[in-house]
Amino acid sequence: MSLRLSPLPWIPLVLASAVFAEGKVRFNRDIRPILSDTCYHCHGPDKNARKGELRLDLREEALKPAESGDIPIVPGKPEKSSIIDRIFTKDEDDLMPPEKAHKSLTEAQKALFRQWVAEGAAYEAHWAYTPLEKPPVPEVTGAEFAIRNAIDAFIAAKLVEKGVRSPSPEADRAMLVRRVSLDITGLPPTPADVAAFVADPSDAAYEKLVDRLLKSPHFGERWAAWWLDVARFADTVGFHGDQNQRVFPFRDYVINAFNSNKRFDQFTLEQLAGDLLPKPTTEQLVASGFNRLNMMTREGGAQPKEYIAKYQGDRVRTIGNAWLGSGMTCCECHDHKYDPLTQRDFYSLSAYFADIKQWGVYADYSYTPNPDLKGWSNEHPFPPEIEVDSPYLKKRQTRFEGELAKHLTATTKRLDGDAKQNAAFAQWIKQVQAFAKANPSGWLTPKPTVVLMKPAAPAPKADGRAPRPAKSAQPAEKAASDASIDEQSVIRLARLPGKGESFRITLPMGAGRVSSIRLEALPGPKGESDLGNGAQRQGIRLSASVKPVKGAERKLAMHFADADHKSVRYNNGDELPGVTNGWKLDPLAKGTQTSVWVLDPNQPVAAGETLIITLDTDLLVPLRLSVSPLADGDPMQVASAAMLKAVKAGDRAALSEGFLLATGWNADALAKFKQLHNEILLCHNGKAWTQVTAAIKEPLTIHILPRGNWQDESGPVAVPTTLGIIPKLGTAKKNQDRTDLARWLCSKENPLTPRAVMNRLWKQFFGNALSLVVDDLGAQGEPPSHPELLDYIAAEFRDSGWDMQHMMKLFVMSATYRQSSSLRPELREMDPNNRLLSSQNPRRLDAEFVRDNALSVAGLLNLDDIGGPSVKPYQPGGYYANLQFPNRDYAADTDERQWRRGVYMHWQRTFLHPMLANFDAPMRDECTANRSLSNTPQQALTLLNDPTFVEAARVFALRLLNEKGDDATRLTRAYEYALARTPKDKEKASLLALLKTQRTEFAKTEDDAVKLLKVGLTPVCGDCTKPAEVAAWTTVCRVLLNLQETITRY
Amino acid sequence: MKTLYDQAAHELSIKRRAFLTNSAYGLGGIAFASLLNKANASDGVLKKLHFPVKAKRVIHLCMAGGASHLETFDWKPELKRLDGQPFPESFTKGQQLAQLQNTVLKARGAFCDFHPHGQTGNVISDLFPHMASVADELCIIRSMQTEQINHDTAHAFMNTGSIIKGRPSMGSWLLYGLGCATDELPGFVVMTSAGKTGQQPVSARQWSSGFLPSKFQGIQFQSKGDAVHYLGNPDGVCQSTQRQIVEEVKRLNGIFAEDHVDPEIATRISQYEMAFKMQSSVPELTDMSKESPETLAMYGVKQPGDGSFASNCLLTRRMIEKGVRMVQLYHRAWDHHGGLVEGMKSAALDVDQACAALIKDLKQRGLLEDTLILWGGEFGRTPMGQGTGRDHHILGFSVALAGGGIKPGSYGSTDDLGYRAVENPVSVHDLHATMLALMGIEHTRLTVKFQGLDARLTSVAGNIIKKIMA
Repeated sequence: MSLRLSPLPWIPLVLASAVFAEGKVRFNRDIRPILSDTCYHCHGPDKNARKGELRLDLREEALKPAESGDIPIVPGKPEKSSIIDRIFTKDEDDLMPPEKAHKSLTEAQKALFRQWVAEGAAYEAHWAYTPLEKPPVPEVTGAEFAIRNAIDAFIAAKLVEKGVRSPSPEADRAMLVRRVSLDITGLPPTPADVAAFVADPSDAAYEKLVDRLLKSPHFGERWAAWWLDVARFADTVGFHGDQNQRVFPFRDYVINAFNSNKRFDQFTLEQLAGDLLPKPTTEQLVASGFNRLNMMTREGGAQPKEYIAKYQGDRVRTIGNAWLGSGMTCCECHDHKYDPLTQRDFYSLSAYFADIKQWGVYADYSYTPNPDLKGWSNEHPFPPEIEVDSPYLKKRQTRFEGELAKHLTATTKRLDGDAKQNAAFAQWIKQVQAFAKANPSGWLTPKPTVVLMKPAAPAPKADGRAPRPAKSAQPAEKAASDASIDEQSVIRLARLPGKGESFRITLPMGAGRVSSIRLEALPGPKGESDLGNGAQRQGIRLSASVKPVKGAERKLAMHFADADHKSVRYNNGDELPGVTNGWKLDPLAKGTQTSVWVLDPNQPVAAGETLIITLDTDLLVPLRLSVSPLADGDPMQVASAAMLKAVKAGDRAALSEGFLLATGWNADALAKFKQLHNEILLCHNGKAWTQVTAAIKEPLTIHILPRGNWQDESGPVAVPTTLGIIPKLGTAKKNQDRTDLARWLCSKENPLTPRAVMNRLWKQFFGNALSLVVDDLGAQGEPPSHPELLDYIAAEFRDSGWDMQHMMKLFVMSATYRQSSSLRPELREMDPNNRLLSSQNPRRLDAEFVRDNALSVAGLLNLDDIGGPSVKPYQPGGYYANLQFPNRDYAADTDERQWRRGVYMHWQRTFLHPMLANFDAPMRDECTANRSLSNTPQQALTLLNDPTFVEAARVFALRLLNEKGDDATRLTRAYEYALARTPKDKEKASLLALLKTQRTEFAKTEDDAVKLLKVGLTPVCGDCTKPAEVAAWTTVCRVLLNLQETITRY
Repeated sequence: MKTLYDQAAHELSIKRRAFLTNSAYGLGGIAFASLLNKANASDGVLKKLHFPVKAKRVIHLCMAGGASHLETFDWKPELKRLDGQPFPESFTKGQQLAQLQNTVLKARGAFCDFHPHGQTGNVISDLFPHMASVADELCIIRSMQTEQINHDTAHAFMNTGSIIKGRPSMGSWLLYGLGCATDELPGFVVMTSAGKTGQQPVSARQWSSGFLPSKFQGIQFQSKGDAVHYLGNPDGVCQSTQRQIVEEVKRLNGIFAEDHVDPEIATRISQYEMAFKMQSSVPELTDMSKESPETLAMYGVKQPGDGSFASNCLLTRRMIEKGVRMVQLYHRAWDHHGGLVEGMKSAALDVDQACAALIKDLKQRGLLEDTLILWGGEFGRTPMGQGTGRDHHILGFSVALAGGGIKPGSYGSTDDLGYRAVENPVSVHDLHATMLALMGIEHTRLTVKFQGLDARLTSVAGNIIKKIMA
């Protein structure tokens, strides 16, 4: 080293972020950010953007003489270096960076540059790409810092270097238990948790607490929310109609992965390549749904290739952000301008995903045919999917089945105690016995007559516009030719009904009840189901009415219909139970397919009345109709052998369900039966479908797309290859697949993944990441505030066997973590953003936990189950009005699902729940590594007025009123629930005054109090006799739920 | 390596420095107040603007679904002559199509007539007689081009200049750069309405602040229920109780701040103030009962607040008067793959009168001169027919500008068949660059670092079209 200048005295400390330009200039810390931001655009890695043949990102290039003979950088000789000339010149033509770049250098930056050249212009490899080695832990001497583990040594060493000799005090124990509970489980501690922890001053108490929290089943729920942002997990597909997708089991997988502390390398492998593992488990297949969480479209007119390019690009960006901390976005169109990432890298990563079975447009349109999605509508799901067990649904179904059985037993008992109904029951049994005797199959098949109904001729409109078809239909003139009926009462329709048309089938019957209708679809002449020409869009739809001898027809309502064979019908991705809204036949089934339609209770048919069946169909198959007075919740059990046996035996217990359904003798009992029956159906036997990755045999050919233009396939073909800047995996196969990518991401040689993931994780515990720009560790990101610490934790993570919980425990056990979070004013000048961690940083809770916390404080949070389908909390009406294909409404949950944790909330990408959106939850359209944090009036309005929070406040109030004691005692209790501490005198006095005023006011307006106590679904109970008292306390609780301290983990 | 640590001694030292708190983090009386003001102020990041300011506010009248340029502003007699005949392949070969993929292409001429209007001689379709009456306020760009041919992505491109999700929309950029002139209303408001046919979904993504903090997001005003989500007090809670709650939250937050230094607390307090103000200012704003019958008639408003485009236009004027930075109206009615004749007539009836009324009303109140209005969809429609309609089209379409700093007249043109912009093509980035320039902003200098890039509304492109500027 030749010349060494002392630092220029006038360099002010104005460099961005945590750079401290004292002593020797360092390339990575001081120079690279300037070069990257102001020079690389034209003099960096992107060869197409390079100006004047000058490249400054490589030292050997920067030292070469230019054509003019000028040498850009002469180490040790700033006066001979042309770049120093060019940045200091007053000549506008020569000045660098040029004015049009709008990137002027400050005097301090220029001086720094000169100093760097004077000191020899040493380059360093970019910190993020250098091999990862665990640095030694510094010795800290002569300061007051508690060094509990290595983290503290790194933090203290830097603080001491900056002249800070003492840490902040440890947070008081109540605050600490709240902090660590919210950080690890996303839930506040209970007052008992707090009391126990405060009562045990031993050092071991904290570790015990941490271990307990890490073992909590709710740990996984909290950390799933973190991972689901980068996994871009959502309940809807995002593009255009934003239809529902079926993928909640993936969320269960992530929750379970955290709860079981799955190694992160395995977690990576299963998500990216679970389907390619030898004999993959169901869990691994579910995990592979990760590759299917990109947005998808079903828009008519979308070009499949364009959207495939979008889906592939999304996956590459996701790998870049979630694992590598590298923005890959630029490389879709050109080499990166700042980082050594190339366009080839982008498409080589994309090529790993070329084997994923996917459709550019998930529908079969005439203009973009997809024969394998024939008949697919906007209601359909997004294949490929697999059906898996859902423990949540299974448990739920078992619960409802138990309730239903109990209900039926109770109903039978009730009959016994009701003489009148008991007699009616006996009468009914006699009737069905008589019927069964006359019709041993349990079915009567009358000879039908069939008429085709045509829409009434519409009247032309006065303004000449096209007339709308009239609603009422009328019989066609020539009925006979439209259908034939054979000896066995089989109906053969001559043609499909046209628009607005339907078939009206009349069944002559004797007097008696009709409770069920059986519709058989018989095999065609060749023996198999002949599904006709048209696609089965809706299948066969059936409705029934009774035609009296005189007067208007009585319409019969349908309870539920099902069939022994059917094709599934969907409602925005949800499988519709049964066939009530239309029976689509199973095209693969052989022989007769049978459906049974159980009617709602109705009056017996009188002599001379006829049953009218109205039938609409898009299938031409031979049909036969039968009727029965028997009924059952499960239509396929009507007239079953067991039922007929029960009829014969007059088995009251077995027949009481049928009697209830046939006659509806007790409206409440019937309503409850229907509700439980419906709940059971919606549990789908404890099964759920979930999107997975399925590999296709012949992967797409991935071309490097010039300028990212999907229509230009002239570029070279890219094959699966990992990034050029990181060592390749030694064990990689020649023809690589996703398993190789996953193994490379978590290989010992890959320094980016552990750095990126640990940097992000650090932010969750300390408020700021060590390198602030969590999604870009490249040249345009920020050098870490503590590079050695970041390397230490990254190496520890890798070397510990990718052990997440180990790292979290390391973090929270540190003295750094346990400090008070009160910022230190005296250090504000030196470290305005507390990057040096001279105290903890307060962190406002993320959206999901703002909700969880409030509900938990109120005692309203439902923690009974882990996992399961998404839930729908209250949401302002009409919010989905701008959604179409299909049109939809939002029906908030009306049972205990209403109060489940935020991580389970329905994630509608295009219209995210306003509470989530207001508290900065991302739409998850893309992999989101960084949630921005804002502080807005919308947040205030949400906490003040969203029914979720108002209901929480009133339930919280009841919780307090159920406690013994006077106002002051209850208020103390309120603080213990909400803030894990006791109130100060001032706080107490203020709130007691408010309580008093509110009591007086609500006493005057008791109607208002009653209204307030009706917000939300929780039944108004508890101290109902004193609504004013509950309302006054509700006001106090609303205040508490709105405090900054409540929504912040301090 | 453990260093002995004396908690008690340390706490003593903390107490000693506690008095410093007030001056440094500003929690003493005066400093606290100034922090509050700062949090409440709505300054943008641009302390000095780059160009003279011609427009201070923007209204985007978005004809969502993609209004046909061939029945609005782009008169093509040659296309009418070819009506029903095969569309020349020389135009369409190798070009993107949406629903016309894999079909035979036939020309479809405009079904309506066009006439020149006013001193500018701006040629406007007869479907828009009211717009024609303000022809001299309009600068019609007939050479727009976009890059995205499907609704969702095309809207995103028109709003954010990018097809990558998570980018801020135009209104968010304006708020971020310029701040907002009102502290009791949101600075960026969105309203939607729907026509009888041609509806397409519109996503809240279109007014998302993307990677900018959510305080810059567009706030959607609802026509049913609370105008803004969670604006109304809970049932049974009167304004006095609500006020007491806000006061109490403020007091308790203040008490907490006495011994816990966190600048977010002061911000939170000011946000509660703003929220409380909004609870009365928004209902005042949306209460249009004091608008005169003449005004209602001018806009064609049947029932104020009915969620119609006309009502939204009137509400827009009221917002502009209050200093809202950007208002975006989506009228979902223009996706006429079929039923073009009826659909266009009906959609034109929905918007024509109200658009013209908004321009006239702003003018008579002296607001038009510094309010920039953009009228247009996310793309245009094919000169080729699709059944009884037209398909999506991106190579040439029209938008119209009015107000702050624009030069009335027209700019650019498509070829004889209205297929491709040939004279002075204008990209979406150019349009954005020009709009920003009218707002005083050099588009390359309103940037935010995101994932290592200086992200901006105009991506890496954008030329200011000086010729349409007055």
